[in-house]
Amino acid sequence: MIALVEQVLASSIVLTTPILLAAIGGLVNRQGGVVNIALEAKMIAGAFVAVIAGAATGSWLAAVLAAAFAGAAIGWLFSLTITRARANMIIAGLGLNVLIAGLVGLTMSVAFDASGTLRLDGVPLLPKVLPEALAAVPLAGRALATLDPLTVFAWATVAVLPFALANTRLGLRLRAAGNAAPVARATGLRDKSLIDLGTTFAGFYSGLAGAHLALASLGLFNEGLTAGRGFIALAAFYFARNHPVGTALVCLLFGFLDASQIRLQTAGLPPTLIGTLPYVMVIVGLVITALNTRRRRQAT
Amino acid sequence: MTAAAGTGQAMGRERTGAGVAVRAGEIVRLLIPVLIAFAVGALVLLLIGENPVDIYTLMATEAFGTARRTAATLSAATPLLFTAVATAICFRTGVFNVGVDGAFVVAGLAAATIGFALPAGLGLWLIAIALVASAAVGALWLYVPGYLLARLEIDEVVTTLMLNFIALGLTGFLVNTVLLSETSGNNTTDSIHQAAELVRLMPPSTLHAGFIIGLLCVVAYGIWARLTPAGMEAKLVGLNPRFARSVGISVPATIVTVMVISGVVAGLGGASHALGQVHRFSDGFSAGYGFTGMAVALLARNSAVGIILGAVLFGALASAGTTVQLFSDIPLDIVNVIEGTVMIFAVVELGRLTWRRRRRR
Repeated sequence: MIALVEQVLASSIVLTTPILLAAIGGLVNRQGGVVNIALEAKMIAGAFVAVIAGAATGSWLAAVLAAAFAGAAIGWLFSLTITRARANMIIAGLGLNVLIAGLVGLTMSVAFDASGTLRLDGVPLLPKVLPEALAAVPLAGRALATLDPLTVFAWATVAVLPFALANTRLGLRLRAAGNAAPVARATGLRDKSLIDLGTTFAGFYSGLAGAHLALASLGLFNEGLTAGRGFIALAAFYFARNHPVGTALVCLLFGFLDASQIRLQTAGLPPTLIGTLPYVMVIVGLVITALNTRRRRQAT
Repeated sequence: MTAAAGTGQAMGRERTGAGVAVRAGEIVRLLIPVLIAFAVGALVLLLIGENPVDIYTLMATEAFGTARRTAATLSAATPLLFTAVATAICFRTGVFNVGVDGAFVVAGLAAATIGFALPAGLGLWLIAIALVASAAVGALWLYVPGYLLARLEIDEVVTTLMLNFIALGLTGFLVNTVLLSETSGNNTTDSIHQAAELVRLMPPSTLHAGFIIGLLCVVAYGIWARLTPAGMEAKLVGLNPRFARSVGISVPATIVTVMVISGVVAGLGGASHALGQVHRFSDGFSAGYGFTGMAVALLARNSAVGIILGAVLFGALASAGTTVQLFSDIPLDIVNVIEGTVMIFAVVELGRLTWRRRRRR
């Protein structure tokens, strides 16, 4: 029983990381005024680039950085269509998801003569941060021993983010540009550039999320690798109403659901239905919030 | 059935006549996203060492070269007629419904289930019951986000997006448990009775009567949008909800209505695909038809004539893309590249307009 708890705990934490990284990007972006529906696209691109760069350099760090910058570059271009060409962010985002999926598939078959799955030699996996011996510690040991640098980075960001958004100049400016662009502009802020920065940040973190998916344990790229996790991340920060810590906890819950799916399946619960839980939760959460706001408004 | 096809097309042409009022400049603007998309596609083809002119010529021949190939193109365009109309109804009302795909899928399952579960002796009634039921399922499916938007101001983009995933999960669960076929393996229902199959218009091609139902939906949409007070009111709500409210239009009622109509059309689309094309429901029932339909609606700027042209264009890409993949080294992904580019550039062009619409509340 304890072994089971240890296993579920460890795999929950690993499976939370990509969702959390993408959700961090998405929530900062949302605070900066953009509903980023193309997190999925940048995750796919990140995972793809991570595998190629990893195979080329043999270094996990180079692979992770390449993925993050690929995501950031796509995010920046995406942002330009929104801020400069005034595209509708939802449609442009959905279009980007289709476009990137097409480009990745195309590159894969033309450059690597592969379809569906890309296996390359010498793709490095993410190292473990803590010594293997920790696994002997009861309960949390196994989870601690599987911690990888990106997981640590994700949670460190969660720790810093509330302060960064509420108390730093950049954080406040970003939120001003997102919440009241005309006011921000009137006070002399370059609102469009700030929004671009937020979207680039989201791309960076989604790229990291993709790198984690590809390099945490698989070491390969697959077209179905992200499996809608970009949208689950969207669900997470919508459900937690953009609060960094709340979002992280929701991501943890989604990661736990992901990890326990297989086990719940043997207990007779269908995995496809459990997979829809995050989405159902968001709708229910939005309804509860709306009802509360309405009640409060009626009370005053 | 051919007589029915004749009427459908004649009516389609009539609408074209009414739509010619569109100015030449307008037409050029409409074509820009397509041209950019094909230019991007050509660039990609050049990068991978292919001659874009050759490939595009090959694709055009594959899509329209013979009557049979044209039929295949129209067959691929059929689901898009429905999903594009379902999307356009909402977009022109300023409702960002991205959940047509979900409604298409759940309604498709409903139609397929009726098609194999009810007694085959019902004959043509089987088709009628399936169509009505799937329209009802689709309507109910999109009524939920419509109601939430109209009454509680809950962002429809998020709810409809989430409902798409819920639709996939729910139908995936059902076809693997209670509706799982005992004879055909995993992830699929039984085949529907022959009596429930929509008639094939040009055998051996898969073009079926659903194409005509789709055309009728487009025509009905065009009439609703241009000639009825309800269509006018919906347009006003899309352009300026405050103005609409002040002239006595109920904005919440309009929103719920367009979402329900959108669900009906998406539901009919799912039924047409289940009864006419695949004759069963299996996982992966919708190959992103909801999203391609969105690209079509954007490209057409919600005009009925544009929707027909756009659906045929994307149908051609899909059907020619498959054959080109077979006969050359060009992967089918090129179609995704073109579709994604069309979506992005359709709104880049539309930018100002949609941006203003979005500020309705």
